Amino acid sequence: MIELIRPATADAERPYVTRLRSTASAFDPHDAVLIDGDAEGGLFSGAFGIVAIEGIPPGQLEGEVVLVDPARRRIERLLRADSTTNTLLVTERCDQLCVMCSQPPKKTHVDRFDLLERACLLAPEGMLIGISGGEPTLYKERLLTLMERTLSTRADLSFHVLTNGQHFTAADIQRLGAPEYRRVSWGIPLYSTEPALHDLLVGKDGAFAQLEEGLSHLAMAGARVELRTVVMNDNVGGLPALAGYVSSRLRFVEAWSIMQLEHVGFAKNRWPALFFDHSERFGPIAEALDRALLHGVRAQLFNFPRCTVPAAYRSLAIASISDWKRKFAPACSDCREQTKCSGFFEWHPDEEARVTVRPL
Amino acid sequence: MIEEGDLLGATAHTRGVADRIASVGMLDYLILVPTLRCNLSCSYCQVSRVAETRQGFDWSEETLAAVLTMLDRLETPRLKIEFQGGEPTLRPDLIRAVIERCARFEQVEFVVCTNLQHIDDEIIAIFDRPDVFISTSLDGDAATHSRNRTGTFEVTNAFFANLRSLTDRHGPRKISALPTIDPTSPPEIDDLIDAYVTLGLDSIFLRPINYQGFARKRHATSREQDDGWRGYYERFVRRLIERNWSDRGRVLEETYLSIALRRIFQPGLERHVDLRNPNPMRVDYIVVDHDGTVYPTDEARMLARSGVVDLAIGSVTDGWNGPARELLNTGVTNQFDPDCMRCAFQPFCGRDVVDDLARYGRMDLPRRETDFCRRHLHLFDFAFELIYSDDEAVRHSLGRWLRIPGTPSVFGERLS
Repeated sequence: MIELIRPATADAERPYVTRLRSTASAFDPHDAVLIDGDAEGGLFSGAFGIVAIEGIPPGQLEGEVVLVDPARRRIERLLRADSTTNTLLVTERCDQLCVMCSQPPKKTHVDRFDLLERACLLAPEGMLIGISGGEPTLYKERLLTLMERTLSTRADLSFHVLTNGQHFTAADIQRLGAPEYRRVSWGIPLYSTEPALHDLLVGKDGAFAQLEEGLSHLAMAGARVELRTVVMNDNVGGLPALAGYVSSRLRFVEAWSIMQLEHVGFAKNRWPALFFDHSERFGPIAEALDRALLHGVRAQLFNFPRCTVPAAYRSLAIASISDWKRKFAPACSDCREQTKCSGFFEWHPDEEARVTVRPL
Repeated sequence: MIEEGDLLGATAHTRGVADRIASVGMLDYLILVPTLRCNLSCSYCQVSRVAETRQGFDWSEETLAAVLTMLDRLETPRLKIEFQGGEPTLRPDLIRAVIERCARFEQVEFVVCTNLQHIDDEIIAIFDRPDVFISTSLDGDAATHSRNRTGTFEVTNAFFANLRSLTDRHGPRKISALPTIDPTSPPEIDDLIDAYVTLGLDSIFLRPINYQGFARKRHATSREQDDGWRGYYERFVRRLIERNWSDRGRVLEETYLSIALRRIFQPGLERHVDLRNPNPMRVDYIVVDHDGTVYPTDEARMLARSGVVDLAIGSVTDGWNGPARELLNTGVTNQFDPDCMRCAFQPFCGRDVVDDLARYGRMDLPRRETDFCRRHLHLFDFAFELIYSDDEAVRHSLGRWLRIPGTPSVFGERLS
C-alpha cells in the first residue's frame, strides 16, 4: 500500500499546491525544491515557503504534485508522477447512498476546486487525471470550469470522472460537445434494468429515470461514457438482461465495466449479504459478457483476479486496481499472469485472498 | 419500438442510425498494379492479363517515379498497399521500391497478391518482411486447381510446393488464400475444405467466378448466379458448421458470411469496402494500373480493360479528380434507394455501382433486378436463418465467427 497522506510541517498560513523537485534545473514559481533530506523525509523550499515532509524518502516524491495543508500538518499526494492512476476527490457530498459505497459520503462540502485546478495545471506530461467524490457533478459548474481551463491550457492531459449521471441536462449538450471533451470520459454506474432495484441499490427514488435522461444528454453530446456495474447478489441474476439493455439502448458507451465488490466502506459490514462469488458460478456474468460483446459493446471485468475467471473470458479481466491500493496473495508470486491481473484491494481479507487464488 | 416520451430510446435510435453510416477517411489504401503480365493463363482471369513475355505492360520509370511521389504526399500515418497484377512478383524491383519508400509511415502493411508459381530468393526476401502478407488463389484440391489455373502437373506441383513451403516457413497467419469456384462444376465441398485445412488456413472466401475480364466470354453464365450456386454456398457453410462442431479446437469460416454477421451485430466495426454504406469512391482508396491510369476500384480497372466502360478517373502523373468520379458517387448509398428503403436488410447491406455496371452496363436498374441485390438478399436471409436457429452446432459457429468468448443461448431477439 502506498500512503497518499504524509505528515508535514509548513510555515505558510493557508493550504497551497506545489510540485516537488529534487533540483532546481528549470525553476518554476510553483515548484518547491529539495534543500535537505534523508530516508526519513525531506525539506523543500518554494515560493509559498518551506515544507518539511516526513515518513517518505524525498526521492519518491520527484515531480509529484502535492497539496500542503499547514493547519492539519500534512501533505496530500495529489498527482504522483510515476503512477497511471491519480484521483482528485472534489467533494464528499453525494445525492445517492449506494449499498456498497466504497467511500461513504459526508454532509459537508469543503471546496478545494481552486487548489485542485492548480494541481491539474502542474500535472506531469500526458497524465490521465481521475476525478471522484462524493458526487462531483453536485458542483457541476465548478467541475466543468476546472476541466475546461485545464484542457485548454494543457493539450496533453485528459480526465476520467466518476459520476452518478444524475445532473446532466439538455442545456449541457452543447457545452459537453466541445472538442476539449474528447479528452474527458465519464464513469457512470448502472446496476439493473429494473428501475426499482436500481433505485434501491443506489438509495435514491427516481434515480434510474434520472440516469436514463442524463445518459441520453451525454449521448447527444457525443460524450465518452464508461458504464460501470458492480456485481452483487441482488443484481447478478439481472446481468444478462442488463447486457441486452446496454446493447440496445446504450451502445454508444466506450466500455462497460462489470466490477467485483470492494471490501471497504459500506460493503465491508454487508459483505455476506452483498458479495457474489463469481468463482463458484460465473454463468450469468459470462452470458452478460457474450451478449454485450456480440453487439460490439466493449465489456470488461474489473477487480476479478484472473485465475478466478474461466479461460475463455480471462483476457477481459484487466489490471483494474490502482497501484497504491493493490495487493496479491503470497501464492501469486508464482503466477505468470500477475502483471496482467487486478490482484486484490489492499483491504481485501488476506485469508479469503489466500484461499481464492490458483496461480496460472 | 420507441415509446412516446422515451428520450434515451430515441437517442439510441439516432446514434444507431449514425453508427451504420460508414465514415470515410483520408486516402490510406492503395492497390498498385506494377505489371499486367502473368505467368499463368486462367480461363476466368478477371483482369485480362497479358503473356509474361509482352512488352509495355509494366510501370514505366515515369510511372514509378509518380507513384513514389504520391506516397511522399500522403497525409495518413497508417497505410495499406495491395500489389495486384498480372503477377506482381514478376517485378520484385518495383515492389521493393514502393516498400522502401514507405519507411516513414507510422504503420504500413503490404499485401502481395500472387499466384505463387515462381519464388526465388529475391521474392522470399520480400515475403520475409514482417509487414508483408501474401494473398493467393487456391481453388481446391490439385485436380481442381490444375483444371482452373495451372494446367499441367508440373505447374500445379510447383504451386503447391511453394504454398506449402511458405506456410511452413511463416505459419498460416502470413498467408490468406481464396478460391474461385466455377459454379457449373464446383469441387466436392470436403475436398475444397481439406485443401485449406491441411495448410492451416481456416478462413475461406467462397466466391463464384467474377463476371470480369476473360470470364465475360469464357464463363458467360457467371453474369448472374442462380439457385444452384446459392445451394452450394449454403451446403458449404453447413458443412463448416458440422466440422466446427465435431472438432471444437478449430474454427473454419466462410469469410464473407462472417463479414455479413459482423455488419448485422456490430455496426461500425466492419469496414469491408464491398459492403460499406455509403461507399464513396476515390476518397480513401484508389487503384494505380500498369500504365499509371487511376481507377476508383479494382473492378473498375477490369471493366476498362474489357472495353465495357472506361471508369478511369485520371492518372498518377496528372491527378485523379475527373468528372467520372462525381457521377459514380451519386449512386453509392442505399439509404435513399426506393427498393432498399423498404428492405429489412438495408442497415447491413451496401451498394456497388461498379458491380452493376459490369453486369448490366448501367447503374440505374431497380435494385431487385441486380445480381448484387439478389446475392445479398440470399446472404442475409441465410444469415438470419442461422441466427434464429436453435441448433447448438450453429450457435457454436456463430459465436466463433462473431469473435465472442462464449456461445449465447440466443443470438436474435424474438418479438413475441
